This record gives sequence, structure tokens and C-alpha cells, in this order.
Amino acid sequence: MESNSTISKLISRLFDIRVLGIIAQVIGAIVVALTVSWFVGNVAGNLEALGEAQFICEDGSFSYRCAYDFMDSAAQFDVAETSFGMDYKNSDSYWRAIIVAAVNTIRITIYGCILTTLLGTLVGIARLSKNWLIANLSKWYVDIFRNTPLVLQLVFIYFSFFLALPSIKEAAASSNYVFLSNRGLNFPSLVPTVSFGVWAIFIAIGLILALVIWVVLGRREEKLGGTTNRALWAPAALTVPLIIGWFVASASSAGNQVMLVNDASGITGLENIPQVIAERFSVDVSELGGIRALADAGDIDQKTYKDSRLNVCAEKDSLEAANIDSELRALNLPYTIKRVKDADKAFKDFSDGKCDILVAEKGFIESEQLTLADTLTSSIVAIPESPIRLSLASLEGLNFAGGGKMTPEFAAILIALVLNTGANVGEVVRAGIQAVSKGQSEAARAIGLTESQRLRLIVLPQALRVIIPPLTSNYLNLAKNSTLAQIVAFPDFWTIMFTTVNQSGRAIQGMLLTMIFYLSLSLIISAFLNWYNTKVKLVER
Amino acid sequence: MTAEKKELGPEMVVCRDVQKWYGDFHVLKGIDVTVREGEVIVILGPSGSGKSTFIRCINRLEEHQQGQIIVDGTELTHDIRNIQEIRREVGMVFQQFNLFPHLTVLDNVTLAPINVRKWSREKAEEVAMRWLDRVGIPEQAAKFPGQLSGGQQQRVAIARALAMEPKILLFDEPTSALDPEMIKEVLDVMRDLAKQGYTIMAVTHEMGFAQSVADRVLFFDDGVIVEENTPAKFFTDPEEERTKLFLSQILNH
Ligand SMILES: Nc1ncnc2c1ncn2[C@@H]1O[C@H](COP(=O)(O)OP(=O)(O)OP(=O)(O)O)[C@@H](O)[C@H]1O
Ligand SMILES: [Mg+2]
Repeated sequence: MESNSTISKLISRLFDIRVLGIIAQVIGAIVVALTVSWFVGNVAGNLEALGEAQFICEDGSFSYRCAYDFMDSAAQFDVAETSFGMDYKNSDSYWRAIIVAAVNTIRITIYGCILTTLLGTLVGIARLSKNWLIANLSKWYVDIFRNTPLVLQLVFIYFSFFLALPSIKEAAASSNYVFLSNRGLNFPSLVPTVSFGVWAIFIAIGLILALVIWVVLGRREEKLGGTTNRALWAPAALTVPLIIGWFVASASSAGNQVMLVNDASGITGLENIPQVIAERFSVDVSELGGIRALADAGDIDQKTYKDSRLNVCAEKDSLEAANIDSELRALNLPYTIKRVKDADKAFKDFSDGKCDILVAEKGFIESEQLTLADTLTSSIVAIPESPIRLSLASLEGLNFAGGGKMTPEFAAILIALVLNTGANVGEVVRAGIQAVSKGQSEAARAIGLTESQRLRLIVLPQALRVIIPPLTSNYLNLAKNSTLAQIVAFPDFWTIMFTTVNQSGRAIQGMLLTMIFYLSLSLIISAFLNWYNTKVKLVER
Repeated sequence: MTAEKKELGPEMVVCRDVQKWYGDFHVLKGIDVTVREGEVIVILGPSGSGKSTFIRCINRLEEHQQGQIIVDGTELTHDIRNIQEIRREVGMVFQQFNLFPHLTVLDNVTLAPINVRKWSREKAEEVAMRWLDRVGIPEQAAKFPGQLSGGQQQRVAIARALAMEPKILLFDEPTSALDPEMIKEVLDVMRDLAKQGYTIMAVTHEMGFAQSVADRVLFFDDGVIVEENTPAKFFTDPEEERTKLFLSQILNH
């Protein structure tokens, strides 16, 4: 009797949720411990099998601490492209290669997340549109990109779109500013010059001023009521220093930019270039603008044209090239800028008499002119500069020079990631907006809020808390899916790591680094969005 | 019940031949009503007769397709400025409260005064606290709507509507989602407002409220006003057969 009741007591104790919870935790801990120990044992075993050669140290001894020493040796492979102007050459170390590749991945991830957010928001709103065409177009887009593999989309975009584009020559013939060819996308870009630093100070002042005015007027509105038109005053407070700063920076730039002029050309400054060129073609200055067309039409012999036009030597992608380009474009005369890979080469061309003008850094020109004295008489002439110059892409020889560019590989992986993730984010945004009940909008309208206030104050804050958690996982997917860059041979972290592992045979070290890199990337993204999420999170409910 | 007639002011809401369709479905088939300042109108009628639709037309939550609606001298047209103007003067209380769950009770009430009336926060909060006091829940100001009972939420909704100092108050079944013991607290507030001289149009099934507070009862059926009468006559001696049938159905329950 008694033992019976003890057993039933014990059994009922066993079904107590608190006890069940503890049991579940203990089981969980055991499973984790077993898995980890198996994993560690396995890795250790594999390392053993691979032999000590994996851990060779500089002094010839073997130690686990030297597992990554191989990374200091020269990579001896090329990295097809780098981001943010980073340098890499194949004599750099594996570390350098990996870092350059990691920055490539980070660039794709940042651009990808921003573009995905824009596209997803648009598509999410479009799907709810009352316009049949807009709603259905976005629905088809979502259905197509959500229901086909990303690899397929990437391969299609790269091979069927980018590589099928016209050649550089054809692209250059059919357009003036933006060129889409099988070598990628070339477009105009802005180049900051030396005096940009001065202007930047004014930009900072303007921003601070605008912010202060925005906050002060906002406080005033809170306190006294009414409107202060701060949405007008703040931008005005930014614009005024911007304009003043532009002139101050331009004025202060005197002497920043110089050109080295071959005295034989007869040029004494920017002002008399049109006369000189007009004389060479024996036309009136006012007719200079039409010379190019005449040459294209064959009315002027190509050789004469090439010799007679203004020839400028410069280093490729230098700000000096962009600066002189803007000035010459304004003069509306036939000219060409021979862009070569470095300033030394440009100087050599100049001293060989291949061009009328050399542009380069002031210090470089001043020191190099001295070496020139006996072969060629030349003079240094100042040219104006403004804080930012527009740099246009133009065909120089077999490639585009100037402007900004995007390789087909980068464009393909970026576009594929954005289109694919954007479809998912579109659905997330749609769900978020729909999660805010109709009653909320009705109440907002009933108390007299305008449509933009309704969206900003009522709908968005509530939609965001539904949107952000799934948005986070979409960003994480984008970051991890960027490893598909390998398919189009874009040198992202994974592609370069794969090459490194193949070449060095250090698979385990490589995989470990890969895990650490993508884990850190994911954690940073989630940390950022979690922080944002707590800011918009609802208290209660 | 006092039988003395209220002093009635100028016309606040004028509806002339208001018609509305949902697709092919004719919901409102020509509504003619004039509501004067200070009047309390109760709208009764069976489910689906178009009561909500009508009352929501008055602040353009629904759009009427024919006829005229003039609120405080401004006609409801497609002009967004007219619509905004009218919405500022018309407060509305919903069956489902529709409080903003991401804002505190106080912020729910001050939102429109600050953003629409452009009051200073200080003034808006002071006025909001007065209204919360009026509806009996000043101590809940810092809480979020999700932390309140249904009756309390509905009183916040009333305070939110009142904070804009509207000229007309619309109620669409304000007590239908409430437990019986909370109905009274909301009805008490409404009674109080009626006594203060607010112009009120209320859809409600609270017959006691209609009998004691209303100046006029409108009986809707199938998209038309079947009977318009004083509450005394309406409940004791209705003119229409349809009304009698409706009353016998409710009162026998
Ligand atoms: N958005 C809509 N689309 C189509 N039909 C609608 C819509 N809203 C309401 N209706 C129809 O219009 C008619 C009137 O609806 P309404 O909500 O005005 O009725 P009601 O008198 O308020 O009823 P209840 O007492 O049940 O609230 C109903 O038949 C309803 O089905
Ligand atoms: Mg209704």
C-alpha cells in the first residue's frame, strides 16, 4: 500500500514541468558535450593524419602555434579586383590576399543589403497597390525569383546577360556617358581634388548648423506649438555654407594644380590653348568645336587630326587627369588625354615630345622639370581647380579610362543577390504592412492625421517590429550567399580562401578562418539589427 | 427624464440623398438627415442595415457616391483639404477602440493635438490629462493600451477623440466589445458628454441610453431611414410596422 503511493508520488513528480525542464536541460547538455568531443577528436585525428608538416615553424620545428605561419608567405596568385582602392599584387602574402577578398565580400554585403532594402520595400508596397499592373508585375517578380535557385539566376545574369553585351568599341559608339559592355559598366564619377579638404570643412559646418537648427526649432515646436518650417530652414542652413565653401575652396586652390607645358607648342596657359589649336588646324577659334565631327567624317586626315589636336599626358585615374579633363571639356576643343599607368611613364611620354602638356602632382612636376632642361624647354603653368571634378569615362585605346566602373563579375553577383533577396524582403515588407490592422489607419485618419503622418507615426513603427526579425535573416542569407561569387570568379572571401587552401593544402586552417569570418559578419549584422529592433519594439503585447 | 426641449443651434451635419454602393450592392439608398448643434442622435437598426457605413461616410472613412454631406458648413468633396478640415472637427470612437498599441495612453491622446493642431507638447499634455481625468483614468496615462481593460481602453479612445476639441462626436457601437460591467463606465462618460452639450451621433444597441439621452432616434433598415422619431414616441408608439417588429425582437430578448 505504502510503497504503491510512494511510486505514484514519484511518477507524478516526474511529470512536474519544473522537473521535466531540468531533465531536458541535462539531456541537452550531454548531447552538446558528446558532439563537441566527437568533433574535436575528429579534427585532432585529421590533423594528426595530415602530419606535422601542417604546423611547420620558421625555425623548422613543429608546433600547433605555427598553424597559420604559412599565411605570411607570398600568395603568388592574382586577385582580379579590389575594393575601395586597396592595393594588392601577387607577391603579397596570403593574409593580404584574404583581407582584400574579405573587403570585397563586405562591399558586396553592404551594397547588397542597402539595395535589397530599397527594392524589397518598393516591391512590398507595390504588391499591395490597387493598380492591377503594378500589383501583378511585382507578384510575378516575387514568384519567379523565390521559386528558382539563386545559382541559376546568377549564371543566367552573368553568362546570358553580361557576357552577351556588346564589346567595348560598340558600347562606346552607341553612348556618351554610361557604357554597358561585356567588360562591365562604366559611368561618370566625382573625383575629390586637393581643395576638397577645405570644402569638407564647410560641409561639416553646414551639417552641424543644419542639425542644430533642426533640433532647436524642434524644441521650440514642442514648447510653443505651431510650425517653424524647420524642414525648410535646416536644408537652407546646409546649403549656404556649401555654396560659400565652394568659392572659398576654389579660391584657396590657387597653385594646387599645375601643368608642364612644352614651350615648343606655343601654349602659355589655359587661355591661349584655343588659339594655338585653331592655328594648327588653320581655322577660326569659333570653329574648333566642329573639328572632331570633320575628322570623324573624313574631311580631315586622321593623322593630321591626331597630331594637331591638344595632346595631354597624365596618369590613369589620377585626380589631375580628372581636373584638366573638366577644364578642357569647357573649352570645347579637340583634345585627348593619354592616360598611362603611372606618372613616370607620363613624364617619359612628355619628354619624348608625345604631348603638349603633362599634368601630375605639383611636387613631381617641379622636381622632374629640372631633369628636362637640356632636352626640351618647358614651363610650369598654374591651372584652376574646384573641390570636386566630374570624371567621365572615355575610350582610350582598348579600354575605358576615367569615371567609375563595375566589373561584370561584381555586377552579376550583386544583381543576383539583390534580385533574389529582394523578392523575399518584398514579402516580408508586405506581411509587415498587412500586420497593421485597418482599424489603425482608420483611427489615424479619424483624428485628422495626414496620409504621410499616418504612415510615419502609426503604420511604419508597427510594421517595422514585424519586419525586422525576418529582415535580419534575409540580410544574413545575402551575406552567406555571396560565396556563390565563386561561380563567376569574383574574388570574394570564399573564392580566395578556396584558392589558398588548394594551393597551400591547409584545409582545416582555411575552413576555420572561413567559419570565423562569416560568423563574425553574421553576428555584426544581427547585432546591428537587434539594436535597431529594441529601439522600435513594443512594450507589452 | 426631463421633457424640456433643448435649445438647438445651427446645422452641424446635413445629409441630402446620400447614396453608396459596394460594387453592385446598394448599401445606402438615399439618406436625408439634418443634425443641429447640441443634438444627440441615436441610430438603431438590424445588422447589415448600413448604420456603420453611414456614420463612417460623415468623416470620409467611406466615400459616398451620390448626394451631399455638409459638416459644419464644409462640404465633403474629393478635395483633400476639405476632408482634412472635416476630420479635424469630427471625433470618432470605434467598436474595437483602435488605440495605437505602440504609444502610451498619454501619447495616444496628445498625438493629434501636437501633429494636427500644432500645439506645444506642454499644452497638449495638460489638455490630455484633463480629458483623462474627465473619463476617470488619469492614473493610467503612462501605461500602454495593451495593459488596460476594455472599458479603460474605450475611455482612452473617447479622450483621444475629445482632445482634438471636435464639434461632432461619432460613436460606432462603442460598448459592443465590452463586458457588461464595463459598459456602464463608458455609457456614463457618454451621458456626461451629452449633458455638456456635445453634438453626438451614436450607433448603439443600448436602449436605455437611447431612451434617456437621445433627442432623436433614426431607425435604419436596408439602407434607408425607416423611421425618425423622438425616443419617447419611438419606443412606446412607433409609426412603422418594421420598427414594431424590430423592437419586439430586441425587447423580447
Ligand atoms: N467593405 C465592404 N465591402 C462590401 N460590402 C460591405 C463592406 N462593408 C460593409 N458591407 C456591407 O454593407 C452592408 C452594411 O454594412 P454596415 O457595416 O454598415 O452594417 P451595420 O448596420 O453597421 O451592421 P452591424 O449592426 O452588424 O454593425 C452589410 O450588408 C455589409 O455586408
Ligand atoms: Mg456596424
